[in-house]
Amino acid sequence: MAAALDDEMEVDATLRAVLVDILGLPQAEVAAFDDETELFGALPEFDSMAVAGLLTELEERLGILIEDHEVGAEMMESYGALLAFARAKALR
Amino acid sequence: MSGGGGLSYDRYRVNGFDEWLVRIGDPAAPAVLILPPLFEEMNRTRAFLLALMRRLAEAGYSSILPDLPGTGESPRRLEECGWDEWQGAVDAVTEQYRPISAIVLRAGSIFSVALDTASICRVAPVSGASILRDLERSNITGGGSGGYAPSPALAEALGAAEPVPAGRTLRLESDPAEADRHFPGSPIWRRSEPENSSELAGLIALDFVKWHRSAAS
Repeated sequence: MAAALDDEMEVDATLRAVLVDILGLPQAEVAAFDDETELFGALPEFDSMAVAGLLTELEERLGILIEDHEVGAEMMESYGALLAFARAKALR
Repeated sequence: MSGGGGLSYDRYRVNGFDEWLVRIGDPAAPAVLILPPLFEEMNRTRAFLLALMRRLAEAGYSSILPDLPGTGESPRRLEECGWDEWQGAVDAVTEQYRPISAIVLRAGSIFSVALDTASICRVAPVSGASILRDLERSNITGGGSGGYAPSPALAEALGAAEPVPAGRTLRLESDPAEADRHFPGSPIWRRSEPENSSELAGLIALDFVKWHRSAAS
């Protein structure tokens, strides 16, 4: 199962890198995010204008396609929710 | 600013309107046409493109960056502008300045440029459909379309437009798509708060100058 674990870690690392690159957050701050860290609506940088770029960048780096109906405040409300969404998309 | 000549604003004419363009470098030096990304990405990369143009001037090139009709300082409203007018603007600038080469960023790569394919350098090229999808996505999450409302005709043309072939393609390391070179750096065109990157501007300018000189020799 080592390969699956690696993949999960890879999605986590990719998501953190995208948050740093798109929201312009300090790397140390993003490295400390856990499942409960609130994102959309809680982080001033993570506003509706940032969402399009963030999702498109995730699509490119993870090789996934995110449908419009899947996009909503819930899947972005916390780091854990966004990570679970990205893993479900990338690892299925 | 050091070396290579100054910055000036100039006019070009398309469809009966005078539009603006910015030029950096000695007007007698060979000109490089710069085509910017579209919509929000255009604003996010303005300072970056000017940094790139300054680097090119230091290397002995002049470069020109047009405001497309309905963008920047244009007297037109975006909603009135169609694809023919945007393509016409690129044609008019090419006709007026006779560039020897072009650097096209993101969706700037979907314009056809009346130059040898081999002399076009694409930076992180993206299709028109992808840019439209970003606009629509901003809408569903309540961000509006960033204040951009392309006419239905323009949107339709953009949706079908793919990057034109080029002699060189550069991308970021984070972008898995094929390229001649991948550079380190963050995608400033997607940064929610605009940010410049003199490092990336320097890397791209250096790559362009090396590539262009080796192709010319």
